[in-house]
Amino acid sequence: MAQDAPGAVGARLSPKLDEASLIRAVQRGDQDAFEQLVRAYDQSVLRLAVNLLRSQEDARDVFQEAFLRVFRSIDSFRFDCSFHTWLYRIVTNICLDYLRKRKVRKEEPAVVETPEGPLDRMNDFEEDAPHADPERNMRNVQLGQRIDGALGGLTPRERMVFELRHYQGLRLRNIGEILGTSEEAAKNCLFRATQKMRAVLGDFQ
Amino acid sequence: MNCESVSKLVPLYFYGELPPEEEDRLEQHLDTCASCARQAESQRALSVALDRRAKQPTAALLAECRHDLMRTIYRQEASIPRGADFSPRGTSFPHRFAAWLPSLGTWRMPLGASALLALGFVAARLTTPGGAGSFNLATLTPDVISSIRSVQPAHDGSQPGEVQIVLDETRRRVVSGQLNDSNIQRLMLAAAHDENNPGVRWASVDLLKSHSDSSPVRELLLNRVVEDPNTGVRLKALDGLKAYTADPEVRKVLALVLMRDESPGVRIAAVDALTAHADDDMVGFLQSVVQKEDNNTYVRRRCVKALQDMNASVGTF
Repeated sequence: MAQDAPGAVGARLSPKLDEASLIRAVQRGDQDAFEQLVRAYDQSVLRLAVNLLRSQEDARDVFQEAFLRVFRSIDSFRFDCSFHTWLYRIVTNICLDYLRKRKVRKEEPAVVETPEGPLDRMNDFEEDAPHADPERNMRNVQLGQRIDGALGGLTPRERMVFELRHYQGLRLRNIGEILGTSEEAAKNCLFRATQKMRAVLGDFQ
Repeated sequence: MNCESVSKLVPLYFYGELPPEEEDRLEQHLDTCASCARQAESQRALSVALDRRAKQPTAALLAECRHDLMRTIYRQEASIPRGADFSPRGTSFPHRFAAWLPSLGTWRMPLGASALLALGFVAARLTTPGGAGSFNLATLTPDVISSIRSVQPAHDGSQPGEVQIVLDETRRRVVSGQLNDSNIQRLMLAAAHDENNPGVRWASVDLLKSHSDSSPVRELLLNRVVEDPNTGVRLKALDGLKAYTADPEVRKVLALVLMRDESPGVRIAAVDALTAHADDDMVGFLQSVVQKEDNNTYVRRRCVKALQDMNASVGTF
């Protein structure tokens, strides 16, 4: 029953260079190495931003800002932790800022009312067109609304921990390391997040 | 293990975050307690519902993000003023670009601001009475474009109900002259940097490229072929540089374009321009392009053919 997402997050490095050599090459100013490093992680970074922020525009901004910060500060990376942890510290900090700003200015719902009926803006992320079956489409929209409501009830930190554990498949120990907190605090955060969501979505089967 | 403690452990159990012995004890409890088993089932149902809401970014979005990122970095590199310390990283990454192009001149300077200044200066000269110089300045029907800057009640002493509206007016004038006229050329050079209008940039580069023997025009072409965000403008600029493919400075820029431009069409044009001039030093470079070029088979094939035409091997050993 235990759920994990093997390989959900992680480097897709070509066998040509191991990660440490790649990072050292970037630190020496090798642009190709930088591109390779970006490509090893960028898909999971974008997925995190998309799922967390539920906005294509914000996800793009986070992507750009995160990797520009990596680009500008890679010289300060001293191999004290894994590159993945270092990168995710940057990404999660940026995402948390976005979430906190949204809390202040009230978050935009992913499902919006239009003259043609409710529209799920998250469908923008789908490769395929929205489902042709209107009934199923409506059910999905309702589910989307309820889940958005449940996720919207979490604090930015709870949402981040939940996102990293549920969707990104990271271990709580690693999540604590990324967020600069203990594994125990991450556990408590995950517990609170699931409790809140079960309270909202518990009867949804 | 009682029901209260199980309640706290169910999410951790579900996510595989319990130590094995605790997991065993919890499973034993779930086997015997229907209420806690329902909680575990509820946790599973929640997870299924959330999984349905998970989104994968589209390949197009990922490609756009990658493109935007590399373009930003690429532009930052390309705009390093000579000798300037671009970033806290000193001589490393951004400076690789500068090191790679040791002999390039002012074309790498950021030209946006200076272009605006030049445009203002030249336009002022053109429109000042007596400052028109050698070319014909014709004013057609004054074509005035207005936009409202502010609206407010009129100042003291005016009639009640009077308002004051401030308009910004842009007056359109037509200027004509010979391309070899230095003032016209300066205006065209400024227009070729008009970041809001790719059509004007394209037309300016297209007209100026026939004067690429002029040093400022050559510098413009070298700048546009690297920096212009519009593929059509970059192609036009590259076209204007074709007559100078023997020039080492031009070759370095074209090599950079071949390595870095995101448009296969521009890269192909760069291969063609570079290989139009026989140069044995190109062999190693083309071999490395063949190794790297996995995005567009046609570009790769062009490079392979160029190597074959030079009787060089395709791979490195």
